[in-house]
Amino acid sequence: MAKEKPETWLPLTPAMFHILLALADKDRHGYEIMREVGERTEQKMRLGPGTLYGSIKRMLSDGLIEELDERPDPELDDERRRYYRLTDFGRRVAIAEAQRLERLVKSARSKKLLSARGT
Amino acid sequence: MNISLKVYGFLLLAYPADFRRQFGEQMCQVFRDGYRSEARSGSVPGFWLRTLLDLVLTATKEHTDSSATKGFFMNRRTDAMALLGCVGIIVIALLVHNYVTRNPGVPSIRWLGYILDPLVVSGVIGNLIVFVLNKTTKLNRLRTAALVFAAVDAALLLLIVVISRSTPAPNWIAVLFGYLVSYAVWVGLHFAWHSVSGAGSGVHGQANS
Repeated sequence: MAKEKPETWLPLTPAMFHILLALADKDRHGYEIMREVGERTEQKMRLGPGTLYGSIKRMLSDGLIEELDERPDPELDDERRRYYRLTDFGRRVAIAEAQRLERLVKSARSKKLLSARGT
Repeated sequence: MNISLKVYGFLLLAYPADFRRQFGEQMCQVFRDGYRSEARSGSVPGFWLRTLLDLVLTATKEHTDSSATKGFFMNRRTDAMALLGCVGIIVIALLVHNYVTRNPGVPSIRWLGYILDPLVVSGVIGNLIVFVLNKTTKLNRLRTAALVFAAVDAALLLLIVVISRSTPAPNWIAVLFGYLVSYAVWVGLHFAWHSVSGAGSGVHGQANS
């Protein structure tokens, strides 16, 4: 499955893309993903537990993310938490989605929907 | 906090069992963390509202996905093969039965008739019940078949007992022999199919694969 072209998985749902973005720089557990998405979007995107774990379930089965066996910081953390990491394939899919959105923004600019500065 | 967590834990029953088993504990943990954070900022009602909306939407989606992967019409090829096999056996039994009724004089053929009757009737009713149960429950398929055919055969024998009160008594040894053979044939076929298609699957497909 992970051998398929990343483009075949596009477009991603907003929740899936935000989760991939949250995991792009760091392995995180569920609540940390929710918090990161909320902070990054100024609370405009708030993932509920059902949306979060429904998306995680699909991304795990599609090979976009993987669950870690160990916890990054076992001293400080609740041992019941599960951490997730972006796979190489997941990173390629996230990049492909970002490029797709970039092309979309360029199109919006060319149609004068956005100024050059993006406002 | 504890009550809210208990209520949320109870509401998770809205999700399919597999999903709950895999993520239920994590969802409760995320709910607890979120609740604590929202309680500090005093926006618990809004948090509950968002959580409930999320629950309704995602539970529906998970059920739809779950039925798409484990649905009634999953494994159509396996189901079709099993169905064709059952229909084939019943049709052959009916043809032989037809031949037997035209030639009642031969004792060995008469005994065959005692086997074919339950083979056809029990086969139609029993396989239909087993098919529905296998598709709608997670019961052990082989045990389900064994119990269903035992129940169907017992019910049919009871019916014969009731009917025979107003009609000439049948040859009870032959009737019992016929039902025992029928039971052995159908349960044996289910056992064989179970072995061929892998443990945990059964005659009517592999819903868990």
